[in-house]
Formats: sequence, structure tokens, C-alpha cells
Amino acid sequence: MTADSLLLVLVFFPLAGSLLALGAGYQPRLCRWVSLILSLMQMALISLLFFLDLQPHSGPTGTWLLAVDYPWLEGIGARFSLGLDGLSLLLLWLTAFLTVISVLISWTAINLKVGLFHFFLLFLEGCLMGLFMATDLLLFYLFWEIQLIPMFFLLGIWGHARRIYAAVKFVLFTFGGSLFMLIALLVLYVLHGHQTGEYTFSLYQLSQTPLSPTVEGWLYAAFLLAFAVKIPLVPLHTWLPDAHTEAPTAGSVDLAGLLLKTGFYAFFRFAFPLFPGAAQASIPLLLALGLVGMFYAAWIALAQTDIKRLVAYSSIGHMGLMVLALGIWNLMALSGSLLQLFNHGISTSALFVMVGMLDERLGSRNFQDMGGLWQQMPVFSAFFLFFALSSMGLPGLNNFVGEILILLGAFQIRPLIAVLAFVGVLLTVIYILRMVQDSLFGESRRVQPLRDVTPREVLILAVMALPVLYIGLHPGPVLRLFESSLQVMWGQFPMLARSLGG
Amino acid sequence: MLIHWLDILPLLILSAGGLAIFGAGAFLPRRPSWVLFGLASLTALGAGLAALLMAPGSAAFLGMVDLGSYSRFFTILLMSITLLSLFFLHRYAQVRNFAGDELFALMIYAALGMVLVAAAVHWLIFFLGLELLSLSLYVLIASRRRETTALEAGVKYFILGAVASAFLTFGIALLYAATGTLEIKASLAGVSQAVPMPLYFLALSLIFVGIGFKISLVPFHLWTPDVYEGAPAPVTAFLSTGSKVALFAALLRLALNLGEPAWEMAWPVLWVLAVLTMALGNITAVYQTKVKRLLAYSSVAQMGYLLMALVAVKQGSLPALLFYLTVYALMDLGAFGILGSLSEPQADLDELEDFQGLGFSHPWRSAVFACCLLSLAGLPPTAGFLGKIFLFWALIKADCLILAVIGITTVVFSIYYYFKVLTSLYLRPRRREFLITPPDLAVGLASGAIFLLVFLLGIHPGPLWSVIEQISIFLSR
Repeated sequence: MTADSLLLVLVFFPLAGSLLALGAGYQPRLCRWVSLILSLMQMALISLLFFLDLQPHSGPTGTWLLAVDYPWLEGIGARFSLGLDGLSLLLLWLTAFLTVISVLISWTAINLKVGLFHFFLLFLEGCLMGLFMATDLLLFYLFWEIQLIPMFFLLGIWGHARRIYAAVKFVLFTFGGSLFMLIALLVLYVLHGHQTGEYTFSLYQLSQTPLSPTVEGWLYAAFLLAFAVKIPLVPLHTWLPDAHTEAPTAGSVDLAGLLLKTGFYAFFRFAFPLFPGAAQASIPLLLALGLVGMFYAAWIALAQTDIKRLVAYSSIGHMGLMVLALGIWNLMALSGSLLQLFNHGISTSALFVMVGMLDERLGSRNFQDMGGLWQQMPVFSAFFLFFALSSMGLPGLNNFVGEILILLGAFQIRPLIAVLAFVGVLLTVIYILRMVQDSLFGESRRVQPLRDVTPREVLILAVMALPVLYIGLHPGPVLRLFESSLQVMWGQFPMLARSLGG
Repeated sequence: MLIHWLDILPLLILSAGGLAIFGAGAFLPRRPSWVLFGLASLTALGAGLAALLMAPGSAAFLGMVDLGSYSRFFTILLMSITLLSLFFLHRYAQVRNFAGDELFALMIYAALGMVLVAAAVHWLIFFLGLELLSLSLYVLIASRRRETTALEAGVKYFILGAVASAFLTFGIALLYAATGTLEIKASLAGVSQAVPMPLYFLALSLIFVGIGFKISLVPFHLWTPDVYEGAPAPVTAFLSTGSKVALFAALLRLALNLGEPAWEMAWPVLWVLAVLTMALGNITAVYQTKVKRLLAYSSVAQMGYLLMALVAVKQGSLPALLFYLTVYALMDLGAFGILGSLSEPQADLDELEDFQGLGFSHPWRSAVFACCLLSLAGLPPTAGFLGKIFLFWALIKADCLILAVIGITTVVFSIYYYFKVLTSLYLRPRRREFLITPPDLAVGLASGAIFLLVFLLGIHPGPLWSVIEQISIFLSR
């Protein structure tokens, strides 16, 4: 057994674990512990990979740190092939980390159908593991679609009042968007087969398909639609605030921290290498969509009275900046953008966790019921301030590093865009500060005293604060991981490097 | 001339089995339903095994019944459908007091008709098989004689089915007049100067209308929701899978044998009907509030997907079609079968509200039901997902991109109504107490098998796919 087969374990361990959690569901306490231990084991396994000193090596599916490749559907040439590079490694770690957090924050909040809940959490983890490593397009599509099912149930069974509306809307948007990607994917597959005589879904081989600009444009548009819904980019974002508002806290964490990442990741991993020409042509569109996303999200966020909705819109704003960085496409902006992907997963999830805690205590997420929390819950408030500051990009914390890299990268090529993006970042500061002010400071409008955070909650928050500080103070190792991934990618997809530079 | 009777052993077993059930009904005192059920199951099992294990010596029996791998494949598939339907039916009929000998014998005779329809290479056998199938189904649908809805459904299916048969008979007669032969292959392929074209096309359209009725293509689908709703749910499962699979197998054979000029005229018609069937089936299903009607429209739409790939049958979509037919049979049978099992003795659960909370009070059967729904919707990792992938792959390979895009657009609609049912099952609170009969071993076996197969074919379809590819290669030679 080589280290490569570890990738299989990473996918199938949580999937098998999910069944175990389901089986343990008859006893909620046992089920929670089982899920916690399983998710911790998964996280330990992934952390182990950081210390293995992996070097990129090339194989039949491209150049990866680790790769596996097995036959799967031989009739049509789809293979079970996974590949790991620096970006996927970090996203895998984030997935495992947030799953642990999700189990921990649901410890007391979820008392209904506990087994099923943890089944879906771990099942989702397994799907995402596969998604972040798939290098076969059909396999990727499989994982991309499966992840809808656990999310639908997490939203729909354990959500708040309008959960059914939100869950159905979520499914319709994401499924509707991705079906056209399926068609585009099959067209690409057939075109490649016609030209080379070899029918394959391998990303590496499909990226070498010469396409006429018109065809490439259409196929890219179909991919763009699917990923833009998931990211979400602004005209297609309306499912997100609803889903977030109605989701249980663990659902919000998974949604913001993981599911949104899949859209951006797929963009970066698949859409760009497969259609470099169209991607280059779409740069103005990406820049515009990114900017619109930032400004629109800030504008709407300022008008929110529900704190969870505000965080949801801040999420859209952050994703806008990352998409903008895709449009800049130089090493600096891209590393910043990938780093932001990770940062957003930590900071926004932490904010959702805290909003969830607040909701448990207040029974409301409305700003009218808040104010003066600092006097009653000092520990909670300190953490809340910390993550809010991280989210708006305070120097020394994680988001600052990513944002400054994106802005600097943008200044090198497109100064005007950089200025606009800078304004967008400033707007983030405004609404985040307003959120902090309306909730933590001012006069308390409540009579009953509020309980401060419990030891379990302190543990969760402290654990989440660690990566925030680490990346803020010492981003070097993580950035090197991204840079090496990017360089491998440019070496691997020469057409991409030629079209977009790098 | 020596007649190789053993070549048609599955047909002989079915005929004898049907007679044995009638005999047992006539002569056994008190007619215990488990004996009848056991006889019927053994007959279906025996016929299926005979088709699976015995390789016939010749290509066709007296030039009437195809004995090749194509018809063996469908015999096995149809026997599996029959067996699973019987498993769902027995308990249902027992609780509701209509588990008589005529029920089980007619199931077997309907199955015989299906096999004949799928294997016929002669119009006479095709017509005989279809009539045997239809007559048995008329009675089966109305087998709960005290239920007015069942009677209404039976009469409706009878009248429309009789009209369809009339179309078909007239079409076959005209085809005979035009070509002078009743052999399916010769009558379809040979378009010489002597054949009067208008007559030939009229004949073909009449036959197509007849088949279109039976597999409920738009605009001949109007009977479907009423009949599906009125018939006992396990019979609906049998009807919507068995008879459709058999007739689609026949339609496939016709399409493959159709000569060049006629096919050039036929495929645009198929194209338009496929679009209509997918669009109307899926959009109408969105507005349904009754689960049986919703599933009925969904099965109309599923036939539309199959018809869509039929357009590309001359460019190699046959393996995809066969795979999807198998998968369709499995998931639709599961959905209707479980629907029957999850019913109360007085009346089947039907309104969407009735299903609220069922997912947690009856978790096992609901899980199978949900899997079948997810598979019908085409979500991974179920068989329906791969089935759809294969269908669209075949279409795109044949350069039917526009049809594929239209098809996938209608799939978006279908997601909504499948999730509507899931929403009722799992997301909404329970409304009332259920008086659902507990399942017996047969229901457990059948639903367990369907559950496993739906996932197995979605993850590891390799074995089935290679069998299907061999059949297709054999047919296209």
C-alpha cells in the first residue's frame, strides 16, 4: 500500500463513518461521540499529509502530489481518479475541520433525529472529500450532485420556520444550474472522442482538446452558470440568504464554509483549464460580476435587520472579491484569492457559529433585541469582535493577508479595478462595524440576564481562532503551498498559461 | 419438420403455470392465497431462469418468436418485473380480500403477453401477445370489484385500449396490404417500387398510434393518470413497468428494422413527440397534488426520455436505451410497489399531505421510496443518474444537441415535483395516525432487492452494461 491509496481512505472513511453514526443514532449521546471521534480521526489523517513532504510527480492523470486512478465505467471511459495538490489539501483540511466544528456546535442544539443528522454531516464530508480531489469530470459531477442531497435534508429537517421553502429553492437553483454543465461536459467528451478516438473524462486529457471559439464559449458558459450559482455570483445569489437564514447553525457552517467553496474551486480547477480561451474572453465579465457582487452585497447588508442574513450577504461580498481576483489572474492575486477561500471558510463559519449561539440565547436574530451584549456576555463579545475584525480584514488577522495580496496583484495590472475593489473592501468594514456596534455595544434592551459562553463553546471558538491568528501572523507556508500548486497548474495546462499569462 | 419445443420453454412454463393456478383455484378447497402466490412466483421464476440458463438452438421459433439475446434479455427483465410485482401484490391483495386465483393467473398471462410482444418477429404474434396482455390488464385493473374508482379505471383502460388495438389491427392489415408479408422485418425493410407509399405510411402511423397509446406518449397519454390512480397500486406498478417495457422493446425492434426512407420520415415525428412528452409530462406533474397522479405523469415523462434517445437509435443509442429501460423498470416498480405497501386497508394513501411524517414513522419503506424518487429524478449515486448520463451521452454522440438541451431543461422541472414528495415524506410534520399494514417477507425482499439494485447499478453498472453492449453488437450486425 502506497501513500496514494490514502486518498481512497479519505473519501470512503467518512462515507462508512456516516453509516456508523446512523446506526448509533438510537442513543444520541453515543452518536455524538462516535461522530466526533470519526471526524477528529479524519482531520488527523489529513493533517498527517502536511508532514509527509509530498512532491509533485506526474502520472497518467496529470501532475499531483498524490493520485489514484482506477477503472470505473469502462463502457464510456469514466475512471475513478483522484488527485491531490496544495489547494485541494488545504480545502480537505478545511472540510474536516469544519465538520468537527459542526459536530461540536450541534452538541446541544440538535435533539431531533440525532443519528440522521450526523449521518448527513459525515456523508456530506465524504462527498466533499471526493469533490475536492476528483480529476475525472464525470466523477466530479457525481460528487457535485450528491452533495445536494445531504444539504437538502440538513436544511429541510433541522432548519427554522421557512426551511422547506429555502431547501427547495436551494435544490432547484443548484440543480438547475448544474444540469447544463452536464450537457456541456458530455459535449466536450464527445468532441474529444471524435478528434482523438479516445473517449475519456480525464481532466488532463480533455484540457488538450482543441475547440473552436464558439463551441468553447458555449461550453464555458454552461460551466460558468453552474459554478456561478454555487459561488454565488450576484444575479444568481438569491437562494443563499434564504438558505442561510433558515439553516441550523451546522448547516450554515457547511454551506458557507464548504459548499460555496466548491463553486469557486470548480471554477479554478475545471472551467479555466478546460476552456482557457473563453476564460480569457470572460475576464471583463468576471471583474464586473465580482465588483457588482461586492457593492451589491454591501449595500443590501447595510439594510439587514437580521444578523444572520447580514453575515450571509457578507459572504456574497467576500466571494465577489475572490471572483474578481480570478479575473486579475496573476500569481499574487490568485494566491491571495485561494487564501481568501480558506480564510472565508474559517471566519464566516465562525461568525455563523456565534450568531447561532446568540440565537440559542436570545431566541431572536434581530438587531432590535440586541445591544449591550458586552456587559452581559464579555467572553462571547470578545470572540465576536475578534471574528468580525478578522472578517473585515484587520491587519494581523487572516483576511488581511488575502485581501492585500489580491489588491496588490490587481494594482500591478488593472489599477482602476484595484481602486474600486478597495472601495468595496471599505464598504465591508462599514457594515461589519455596524453589526458589531448594534449587537455588542449601546444600551441593553433586555431585562433577563444572558448566560455567557459555556466551556464547550469556548473550546469551539478558541479552536476556530487559531487558524485565524496563524494565517494572519505567519502566512508563508500556506502561501507556498498555493504557489507551488499554481506553478504545477501552469506547467500542466500550457494553453491556460499561454492565454492568460502567469 | 422437427419442432424444438424446448426453445420456447419460458413461454411454455408461463402457459402451464397460468393453467396450474386456475386449476388450483378450481380444485383446492378454500383456495389458500399463499399456494396461488407461490405457484405464480415459481412460474415467473422458472420462466426467467429458463430464459437465463437455456441457450436456444435457433434464431427464431417457426419464424414467429425471436429467440436471440435481445428477446432473452427482455424475457429475463420482464420476469423479474413480474416476480417483484407479485411480491408487492400478495400482501396487498390478501389484506383487501381479492387474492383469488384469477388475480395471480392473470398476472402470469399478462407476463406471457409481455414476453410475446417483446419477442415477436411476426405481426400475428405481436398482435396476439398485445391482446393477451391487454385483456389480462383490463381485469387486473378492475380486480377490486367493489371499488368504483377501480372499475372506472378498468373501463377507461378498456375503451381506450380497444381503440388503440383497433388502430393497431388496421395498421397491420394495411401494412400487409402494402407489402404482402406479415414478417416484421420484411414488412418494414423492403420498400421497393411496388409498395404504394401513402398506404405504407398510413399503416406505419396507425401502428405507431396504437403503441403510443400503450406506452402513453403525449398526446395519447390522457388515460394514464386516471388508470394509475384507480388501479390497485401493485397492479399499477406492474402496468407501468411491465407493459411499457414490453411495448418499448417492440417499438425499438420496429425502429431498428425500419428501412431508410421511412426512417427519414419517422424520426422528425419521434423528435417532436419526445419533446412534447417530456415537456407536458414533467410540467403537468408539477401541478399534481396526488402522489399517484404525480408518478403517472412522471412515468409519462420517463417515456419521453426514452423516446428522445430513440431518435438516435440508428446512431448507436441502443445500449443506453436498454440500460435506461432496465433502470426505469426498477425504480418505477419500486415507487409504485412501495406506494401500495404504504397504504391503508380502506384506501391507498394518495394526497401529498397524507404522506407527511411517513419518512420517520415507517423509515425502511420510506427510504426505499425516497431512493426510487431520487433515482427517477436522476440524482447520483442512483441508477437513474447513470441512466440519464448514458441517454444524453448517446444523444450528443449522435449530434442531437438541441434535443438534449430541451430534454435537460425539462429535467429541471422534474426535480421540483420529486422533491415535493420528499418534502412531504421527511420535512413536514406528521398530520395523523397511520393504519398501515406491516410488510411481510415478500415485500421486504422485493424492496430490499430494489434498494440494493438502484445503488448497485448507479455505482457499478459494468456487468449489466457489458451484457447490453453484446446484445447491441449482435443486433446491429
